[in-house]
Amino acid sequence: MQPARAADTSPLFQAINVSKSFGAFKALSNVSLHVNDGEFISIVGPNGAGKTTLVNVATGLLRPTAGEVRFMGRDIAGVGPVELARRGMSRAFQLVNIFPALTVRETLAVAVASRLCRVGNPFRSLRRDDVLQADAERIAEVLGLRARLETIASTLSQGEKKLLDIASAFALKPSVILLDEPTSGVSTGDKHSIMEVLVSAAKAAGVRGIVQVEHDMDLVERYSHRIVALQEGRVLADMPPKEFFADPTMLAAVVGTRPQTLRKAH
Amino acid sequence: MSNQSIDIGSETVVRRTVLRPNGLRVLLGLTVIMALLPFIASPYVLLLMLPFIGYSIALLGFNLLFGNTGLLSFGHALFLGVGAYTAAALTSKFGVLSFELLLLVATLMSALVSLVVGALCVRYTRIFFGMLTLAFGMLFHSFLFKFYYITGGDQGMRVLRPLLLGMEWRGGKTAFLTGPFYYYALLLFALLGLVMWRITQSPFGLHLRAIRENAGKAAYVGVQIFRMRLAAFVISAVYGGIGGTILAVTTGLADPELAYWTHSGNLVFMAVLGGSGTFAGPAIGALVFVVLQDFVMSITQYWRFVMGAVLVLLVVFMPQGLSGTVEALVNRRQGGR
Amino acid sequence: MTELVDVVLGGTFHAAVLFLVAAGLQLVFGVQKIVNLACGSFYALGAYFGITAVGLAIKLGMPPVLFLPVLVVAGLVIGLVGLPIERVLRTIYRRDESYQLLITFGFLLMFQDVFRYLWGATPRTMDNVYLAYGSAQFLGVRVPTYNLLVIAASLAIAVGLGLFLERTKIGRIVRATAENRDMAEGLGVNASKIFALVFTVGCMLGTVGGALVVPSSAASLDMAVELVVESFAVVVIGGLGSMRGALVGALVVGLMRAAAISLVPEMEMLSVYLVVVLVLIVRPAGLFGKAAA
Repeated sequence: MQPARAADTSPLFQAINVSKSFGAFKALSNVSLHVNDGEFISIVGPNGAGKTTLVNVATGLLRPTAGEVRFMGRDIAGVGPVELARRGMSRAFQLVNIFPALTVRETLAVAVASRLCRVGNPFRSLRRDDVLQADAERIAEVLGLRARLETIASTLSQGEKKLLDIASAFALKPSVILLDEPTSGVSTGDKHSIMEVLVSAAKAAGVRGIVQVEHDMDLVERYSHRIVALQEGRVLADMPPKEFFADPTMLAAVVGTRPQTLRKAH
Repeated sequence: MSNQSIDIGSETVVRRTVLRPNGLRVLLGLTVIMALLPFIASPYVLLLMLPFIGYSIALLGFNLLFGNTGLLSFGHALFLGVGAYTAAALTSKFGVLSFELLLLVATLMSALVSLVVGALCVRYTRIFFGMLTLAFGMLFHSFLFKFYYITGGDQGMRVLRPLLLGMEWRGGKTAFLTGPFYYYALLLFALLGLVMWRITQSPFGLHLRAIRENAGKAAYVGVQIFRMRLAAFVISAVYGGIGGTILAVTTGLADPELAYWTHSGNLVFMAVLGGSGTFAGPAIGALVFVVLQDFVMSITQYWRFVMGAVLVLLVVFMPQGLSGTVEALVNRRQGGR
Repeated sequence: MTELVDVVLGGTFHAAVLFLVAAGLQLVFGVQKIVNLACGSFYALGAYFGITAVGLAIKLGMPPVLFLPVLVVAGLVIGLVGLPIERVLRTIYRRDESYQLLITFGFLLMFQDVFRYLWGATPRTMDNVYLAYGSAQFLGVRVPTYNLLVIAASLAIAVGLGLFLERTKIGRIVRATAENRDMAEGLGVNASKIFALVFTVGCMLGTVGGALVVPSSAASLDMAVELVVESFAVVVIGGLGSMRGALVGALVVGLMRAAAISLVPEMEMLSVYLVVVLVLIVRPAGLFGKAAA
């Protein structure tokens, strides 16, 4: 898991001139994006701007039609989720994505077991694997799920489910983590506490870069170092939050999802 | 996955965790009772218990695939057939009589066959997996049925009495089956039960359950879906092969019906009857099925009707099976305190 | 050449009957999402009841030429058993597929003994119908006229079913329910009624198929379980839920079997399963199916 020293100066993650078409529909055209060590990046844009496609390309789920996707200096285009997890990039989902019948402890143990390569021997005990269990407990601790370790995931509250989803992404000890609307479907009060936990957990877990797709502009403004705005599959802007929110054209184009227009759109 | 299924899942799972550590105990308790049975039961009952042991072993494997990994095979009788025909071919064509050797070759054969069949099947899930396994099962059946110069066709192949630990047993057939073979099979059942328990309690077993719960998510936390599913398929096939070997020695015959799709259906029946959500459930299902079928057959020639009706009622009113229903009752009582 | 015509005609006759059962399976799967293992039982039920009906017709002194319509009517009437069965199935529509497979498996077991009780364990034959229709000369081969009539009847049913689903109002409602049950219900469709209708029609397709086949072969206890796997093969090859798939799948299976029987008899069913496995590997959704989940 130790990152190569040489990579320190180059970005952790890079998408270079990425295009992705679905038949005649061009979801992404010439999108470039990079994540430096220690950065928190937010991807914003109206619905249909290509945010999810970008995340899917970035996580190796979709192969770009053109362009390059590099992670820690290596090409990851279309490598698939398992290989990506092994290389140190993990992902949490927009919709709550849990193992309904597993406990919090077991959910975290799934990820820890794959990171520690514990599945090759089907006779090894899970319960008596102290290293694995301690690791799972530590991650639960960091994300504030310690008291819930033996709880069945499906009985958790909505906010806790989100945290569990994020926690299992952290359990892979990734260098970069991609979060697709980490706080969607959660009450406004919970949103901020989830983000707080997330950022401090990232520090504690040694995560070196976070990319999130987010609609909530308060959260975007408060936590990100840089904002990448997408519109109709193109990068409209790539700038720090201060500049972004100072620019009224940006707000008009991207934050067109402010309540009033939102209501009209639906 | 819709919210609906999550809600249903939660209910069952609370039960499952409460009783989870008891699965092994139930199985071992069953073994102890079975070990004492020869002192009180008639040879007829003991002869009835042998198919139960064979089916139980097969079902321990079947449930790794169905209960743990979430893949419903409707062609699992294929592996019972592989085990039975291996025993038949070795004993009556090649003169190999050592039971240990039979088990070893049956294990290898079913592992080999399942590796090929599994590699083709486990890419699909749900009904597609069920239909594909059914097709493979029937493929094997029609081979057994039609190529009679190799397999004996519908006559089947004789399975000669094997040597246990290299020792020959001079008594009659019933004495052999209800004596040494009974205990040998029972020991095998306990041993394979222990092994399966370890498998379900390992990180590997956890990954299988993660796949059952949410394969899409599992991939993102590093679960190698294809490899894990294939491993589960092969392990379950090996258990099926060993179960089939025991069945074949018990009846002294390997016949194509063993691999027929209705036989696969019976396996699913047994698993659901006992409760596929628990470790020992399928074994209990096998016991109840074997005893019930024998009882119904003794009172009416229309036993299929009765078994079918039991199945329909079971699916409608007791989908958690016997063990699931018992758990629910226990939990309700505990919850009431 | 005559052998080829023989194989093609024999295969098509078998395909015509298979299509009916498979179409029933497809219809039910398309709308209720249930893979009905009891479809083979409906087929056998139609065959047995067909024998009884023709027996009755003979007693009433009907001319043999009317036997074919008698069989069709018998199939339609006995197909009504679908109604009570659907009542039971209704309890498990929202459950896991494994339960749906199992419950229909339970029905299959029950039907086996119903046949045994009502019609006995020995196969029942009826050749007077066959003889009554005589035979025709077709490309230099003598073919029983009855077979040609069955092929024609099956084609007519296929066309009728297609028109019903595509052109009529109820057909459109059925298709909408198949597409999305909740949406259809939201639009005021009484899904329960549609389900009962669809299941009964699916059942009738099976029973008519069985009634039509019985003059050419025997009604036996094995025909149910054997036909299940054959019609499974048909829908897997054609694609689950597709009517066109059922037609093509039935032709593939029917012709394949007929060819195997005349060339390598051992491969009769083996060849069919090989095609199934091949199709599933190359096109898991079947030739006309939607992408597999």
